[in-house]
Amino acid sequence: MEELKKQIKEMVVRDLKLQGVDPAKIDDNTPLFEEGLGLDSLDAVELVVLVQKHFDVQIDDMDEGQAAFKSINTLAEFIAEKRKK
Amino acid sequence: MSFDRRAVLRFLEATGHNIFYVMLLLFGQAGAYLLLMPVIFSYLIFSRKIHRNVAYYMKRRFPAHGVLRLWFDTYQLVYSFGQVLVDRGWLGLCRGARLNGELVGQDELLALIAKGRGLVLLTAHVGNWQTALSHICGFKVPVNSLMHYEQEAVAKHYFDLRRESVPFKIIKSNGFMGGMIESTAALQRGEVVTIMGDRYAGGPYAEVTFLGGKVRLPAAAYSLAAATGAPVAILLAAKTRRRDYIMKVWDIFYPEPCDRNHRQEHLSRWTGRFAQSLERYLGEYPYQWYNFFDFWSQ
Repeated sequence: MEELKKQIKEMVVRDLKLQGVDPAKIDDNTPLFEEGLGLDSLDAVELVVLVQKHFDVQIDDMDEGQAAFKSINTLAEFIAEKRKK
Repeated sequence: MSFDRRAVLRFLEATGHNIFYVMLLLFGQAGAYLLLMPVIFSYLIFSRKIHRNVAYYMKRRFPAHGVLRLWFDTYQLVYSFGQVLVDRGWLGLCRGARLNGELVGQDELLALIAKGRGLVLLTAHVGNWQTALSHICGFKVPVNSLMHYEQEAVAKHYFDLRRESVPFKIIKSNGFMGGMIESTAALQRGEVVTIMGDRYAGGPYAEVTFLGGKVRLPAAAYSLAAATGAPVAILLAAKTRRRDYIMKVWDIFYPEPCDRNHRQEHLSRWTGRFAQSLERYLGEYPYQWYNFFDFWSQ
């Protein structure tokens, strides 16, 4: 799980081009949107595509997205859970 | 004795609707159109508000027209809107009622869909857009429509009247992330997502020039297309004759992916293309613009 979280952090910073953010320093519980990493709804679109591309996991609807996109922790749990199925 | 102005207005409105329903049942679409003429004429004589709400557009579309000419322009625009409403009632109430629609650019749309990368169909509150969009069919992939609550209610009402189920899946834009997650997923499955590109109701936007003035237009659609690799097609409907309408593809483009630092300039570019298409449309159909508010201050 720790490796998965590391991959997610690197993906978010690299592919969403977050300037001045060190992936290693992102707290697992930091909110991804608004006051946390400062992502917005357009980043959410890219994040859905990135998760599918890098982890082969599809986020289908608002409920899944809302639960998964709370933090690095919730996103990692979501991906791990989907991969089991 | 208390006077409930709102209750009286509601009563008058309901009575007006019922008179039109009776006309539709007795004399059909043509009869209701005939009744519409004096109704619109009286409305324009007694309501200053409608002139104000239409003038925002009219003065930009017809800057050289004087007061009298603008009055008749307003009549034509409100009358054409009345026809669209009558058509909706007619299609709902009368068995056998049917409008003939033509989709110009259908082959191009089918070719885009066949590529399997989804399709963003961008449209606007012009022409008989609701009726036209309701009859989009033959795409062989599911069609989704990103709508806010009021649009959803109107669409459902239309199909309730016709005792039909809504032929597309509604994605609510007032949910988490403005429906962007469902829309992304739909495009990834190769489906069609229709989005209204004109009215701004929050979320990402770009400021572009439209009919000579700066206007804020919604821009999420272009980001959606860029992220998923889907093309954007601008599809606008227009009523052409009493029982005919046309849906035409005005532009097709592929917004390229961009990083967040250059996002705004990209969004402005694509939104500008939408505004240009809308201007060309209004050059052909000047009286089918149905945004009755100060569009340039949204």
